[in-house]
Amino acid sequence: MDRISPLISTSTLLWFIFVLYSFSKVYGNSEGDALNALKVQLSDPNNVLQSWDPTLVNPCTWYHVTCNNENSVTRLELGNASLSGQLVPQLGQLVNLQYLELFGNKITGKIPKELGNLKNLVSLDLYMNRLEGRIPSTLGNLQKLRYLRLHHNTLTGTIPYSLTTITSLEVLDLSYNRLRGHVPVNGSFAMFTPKSFYHNPGLKLPVYIPPPPVATAPSIAIPPFTAPAPAPLSP
Amino acid sequence: MTTEWNRITVISVCLDILISITCSNAVESDINCLKSVKASLRDPENLLSSWDFNDSTEGFICRFAGIECWHPDESKVLNIYLSEMGLIGGFPIGLKNCTSMTGLDLSNNRLNGPLPTNMTDIVHFLTTLDLSSNNLSGEIPVSISNISFLNVLKLDNNRFTGRIPYELGGLSRIKEFNVSNNLLSGPVPNFGPNIKADSYAGNLDLCGPPLPRCKGEPSKTSTGVK
Repeated sequence: MDRISPLISTSTLLWFIFVLYSFSKVYGNSEGDALNALKVQLSDPNNVLQSWDPTLVNPCTWYHVTCNNENSVTRLELGNASLSGQLVPQLGQLVNLQYLELFGNKITGKIPKELGNLKNLVSLDLYMNRLEGRIPSTLGNLQKLRYLRLHHNTLTGTIPYSLTTITSLEVLDLSYNRLRGHVPVNGSFAMFTPKSFYHNPGLKLPVYIPPPPVATAPSIAIPPFTAPAPAPLSP
Repeated sequence: MTTEWNRITVISVCLDILISITCSNAVESDINCLKSVKASLRDPENLLSSWDFNDSTEGFICRFAGIECWHPDESKVLNIYLSEMGLIGGFPIGLKNCTSMTGLDLSNNRLNGPLPTNMTDIVHFLTTLDLSSNNLSGEIPVSISNISFLNVLKLDNNRFTGRIPYELGGLSRIKEFNVSNNLLSGPVPNFGPNIKADSYAGNLDLCGPPLPRCKGEPSKTSTGVK
């Protein structure tokens, strides 16, 4: 009798652990919760989120949500949907998200720093909204990002230097904001021109100084001219 | 100190106004740019047939073959990629109206004739310019040295003659430079250690580091007058 009750409690404990473990493996549940947290914070006059039913096992049948073969969210496409309200930190839980398309709405508030957790993100389109606050430096962790379009918002502060470490970046548009400070020119930012940054009145674009005139081609080597790097910002 | 700050403010305001002037009407000018490109090139393989200007929905040119826009909702050209399309004609100066274009790849076509001397007015914001493997001739325009954001400049496999403008060495962002297989001669620009000798292979008589030193009197080559 004394031997049996510890056996029962141990196996009950093991059963609980097993059940909890299985639940945690179901991506769908926590991702549905994360998206539902977003729905709660958004105002949706056109009912584009009407299909978002949090009682379903995963959000993969919801409109504007795309999942992969393991029922994990890969795309969230809510561009030009007349949404207002704010973004939520829970978006950072969508670990397999590749496309976050929230452009052309009236979303206010800040860009959550938790978006830096979206390691698989390829496209971050928050352009044409009413976002404010800084560009989080955590976005530098998005090492697969190809498209970063935050233009036409009211973002302030400086451009985080961490963004220059994203070597996959192909399209950068930070124009029409209220950014200030210097524009980095190193790393991936060597590929970007003033076209990516214009209409930020406080932003200092790199100044191009033409090379000194050369009347004759010299027969001795002259060191190559490099434009001076802008002074690093103090944090 | 205050006058310095005032001067900087005035300059940056003027620059801002200048940039906003050039950036306004981006949509209409970009559409005209592509119309002009299509009109100025012969397209025997009809690969530009998707370029239908009767459509007028938002961002319609973004769906044209070879066109990448800044974002899908607005007809603002970011990159033009028309490699291996069998296109024939001169360098399309209508590209001047693609005022936000940063990438241009017309490689492996049958473009001919010289490049315009005012390249910097036509394609000022390019970071990538690839005109390799065409039939282009004449000299490499000095004005390319004012396209200050260039990271990649590929002019290889053409029929460019004369000298490579020394001023190209002032392009501070250059990562890739290739003029191999042309008819170039004279001293090469100084890009530093990143550009190797194979960027210059297959020409007439190029010299200077990373190639062997130039020979002959400096005065003979100093006038630059042809």
